[in-house]
Amino acid sequence: MLKDRIEKYALRSEKPSRYIGGEVGSVIKDKSKVDVRFAFCFPDTYEVGMSHLGMKILYGLKNARENFWCERVFAPDKDFEKLMRENDIPLYALESLDPVKEFDFIGFTMQYELSYTNVLNMLDLAGLEVYADKRCETDPIVVAGGPCVCNPEPLAPFFDLFILGEGEEVNLELMDLYCDMKHQGKTKSEFLEAASKIEGIYVPKFYDVRYFEDGRVESVTPNRDAPMPIKKRIIRDFDKVYYPDYFVVPFTDIVHDRAVVEVLRGCIRGCRFCQAGYIYRPFRAKGVDTIAKQTKALCEQTGYEEVSLSSLSTSDHPEIEELLSKLVDYTESEKVSLSLPSLRVDNFSEEILEKINRVRKSGLTFAAEAGTQRLRDVINKNITEEEILSTCHIAFASGYSTVKLYFMMGLPTETDDDIYGIVTLVRKISDLFYEVNRGVKGKFLSISVSCATFVPKPFTPFEFEPQITEDVLMHRQKILTDSFKSKHIRLSYHNHDVSLLEATLARGDRRLAEAIYLAWRKGCTFDSWDEHFKFDKWLEAFKEAGLDPGFYACRKREYDEVMPWSHLDYFISKRFLINENIKAHQGITTPNCAQKCSGCGMKKEFGGTYCG
Amino acid sequence: MVKDYYDVRAVFKKTGRAIFISHLDLMRLMQRTFKRAKLPVWFTKGYNPHIYLTFPLPLSLGVSSECEFMDFGMDMAAGEPDFEDIKSKMNAALPTGIEIVRLYQPVHSHTEIGSCEYTADFYKDMPSSELLKLFDKFMSSEKIIIKKRCKVNMKKTIVDVDIKPDITILDKSSEDGKLHLSLRLPAGIRHSLNIVSMASAFESWCGFEFDKICLTRTKILLESGEDFI
Repeated sequence: MLKDRIEKYALRSEKPSRYIGGEVGSVIKDKSKVDVRFAFCFPDTYEVGMSHLGMKILYGLKNARENFWCERVFAPDKDFEKLMRENDIPLYALESLDPVKEFDFIGFTMQYELSYTNVLNMLDLAGLEVYADKRCETDPIVVAGGPCVCNPEPLAPFFDLFILGEGEEVNLELMDLYCDMKHQGKTKSEFLEAASKIEGIYVPKFYDVRYFEDGRVESVTPNRDAPMPIKKRIIRDFDKVYYPDYFVVPFTDIVHDRAVVEVLRGCIRGCRFCQAGYIYRPFRAKGVDTIAKQTKALCEQTGYEEVSLSSLSTSDHPEIEELLSKLVDYTESEKVSLSLPSLRVDNFSEEILEKINRVRKSGLTFAAEAGTQRLRDVINKNITEEEILSTCHIAFASGYSTVKLYFMMGLPTETDDDIYGIVTLVRKISDLFYEVNRGVKGKFLSISVSCATFVPKPFTPFEFEPQITEDVLMHRQKILTDSFKSKHIRLSYHNHDVSLLEATLARGDRRLAEAIYLAWRKGCTFDSWDEHFKFDKWLEAFKEAGLDPGFYACRKREYDEVMPWSHLDYFISKRFLINENIKAHQGITTPNCAQKCSGCGMKKEFGGTYCG
Repeated sequence: MVKDYYDVRAVFKKTGRAIFISHLDLMRLMQRTFKRAKLPVWFTKGYNPHIYLTFPLPLSLGVSSECEFMDFGMDMAAGEPDFEDIKSKMNAALPTGIEIVRLYQPVHSHTEIGSCEYTADFYKDMPSSELLKLFDKFMSSEKIIIKKRCKVNMKKTIVDVDIKPDITILDKSSEDGKLHLSLRLPAGIRHSLNIVSMASAFESWCGFEFDKICLTRTKILLESGEDFI
């Protein structure tokens, strides 16, 4: 029996509780009584996938419907994968322990580009062909959603359809349609035809891509009666949208092991490098009472000792002070700690800090992103050095002694001076600390400086920009390593090869699918894990596919170039992106949505707080 | 400081899918269960208050048990604890496979534990008599040596240990495809032998893999031989 084999071999692998289900909150149904079974796959390990909020939302949403059963599936770690392959254990879902091949839907959430090879590996482990056109009528419908599907082209040949935008409504519509058509005995292709008419559903094989001889996309056109452009879905009433009152509570320690309440969707800021800031528009806020109610429900069901507010920038909540007062009263009385991961420097007031302090003192994190004001203006990160230093002053005075700083390297228009700017800023923060703590013995400031490499992403004003080349990046990283010698300053940065691959996949076209396939065949999986990343294999794969990663990552695009994702409509107008790109090069900032609408293309009827 | 909590010992079963829950994970699980069940458990009074909870006799991953126990405190401010009420509230909040059997005020300290009893079932497609013969032969070896990790002069080393004197066979039987044992091994802070070590010693002596091995802790005994629980 499959269950016996799973139990036997799970015990021989690391942390077997990841492979066996049975957690509090997991939903068990009678499979003979459900119409549609959905295997929700996260293409990374249990610890990473179980930390993902989107999965918790959609799991609850689908399982709230009596006739649907949604189960969880994660990528097995390498040790257990080996045992699975050797002992004839196909990829299975954690609730029923049934093979996912028996399901109606297999749905992946695509959160980062470096998880693409894991998708292929999981399909293969499930005993399915990885290419959609090789799978047969009785195989499950394989779908994907998540931020990466705003450019799903490199993945197109592997999937039957993509779900664009927010999933709460469209997932149910898709499953209802499937349920009807299954009962009517319709075929898979009839289903796909009908599904493509649902707003937010993109069936890639219904569109043909033509290329110029130099490799640029010439056109993307529907090859039948299919929508053009394909629009993403947006939840209009964010305060009323489904939110789970339970989570699956893991046995083993996971990356984010806490209750999470989503408080905002979208971001008002418009930082020009940030894809999330554009593809999740418009900005919508959940009401204070709704948030308080959801916090209480989740803490009670999970028994978690920590709750975290999730958003792209929590301090932008229109009623942030009221929200925190209300939540702190609750969490304090229940001995639950409250964490606020996404606070911005500029509106980080003493009152807010005092409220966080009442529960737990954790580290301070600033995403300054660039070392000079000039470059911060280019990327529209509207924070001044003064604001950073004054916030640090408040924090140091109230006892903080660790600071984390995030920067990016390789931003458009960046020069060596901007890197020296990072050095200067870090020194100023350090000097400030010792000034505030003058006369206090044995108190040291520990600073970690993290420098990611900038990766240009679709649907941002920087989608036209080339990525920094390896030589220049190495030179600039050396400036930093030469400047920071103190043992109290910890410097970390990204490997260039990883960033190059990410940039290639992010803005790639359909032809890249072959390179992904070849890389996977050569043994690439878990590319986001340093210890598993095999860049040489990727280079071989690109070569065999006749593709050059530099063409995708390091090439400047003209404003009139057809992008591989041009046929997808995320309601961010091309005109707006071009204007923003021009302004970036002129060093002109754009006010945030709360100050002034900048006409990004988002429509008023989508329910954005500051739209129209 | 005046003691402001009642000592409580909970005896629970750990079976089925719950055998995959490690010792560390069990700690987290129980703390969350107390919160879910909304019980007035006692929190430590330090700078970082947490639920006071101990599991003095760890159980290896993959082993079932009829008789696990944990010690914790119930806040005196909430009045005398109602054990039946705590039991039903906890069982409603626990995952399948873990079930509270009994709660009481502890009499014996865990330091008085001397041994544990287990059942061990070994499955292999072999005739009944052969399975039994195999085990008898194993037990008639002069020594049964296993590698044990331990500290010698503060240094971590691996030493050879003869476990044969530690194994007391209480009962053995077999049928086609299955060998059933019932045995007692030393347990507690002074001297102990893990049932998993014993089972793997037998398996590696056999030179083949069993299809399945089911190990269950059935009893905890005091040094005097009386029941601990």
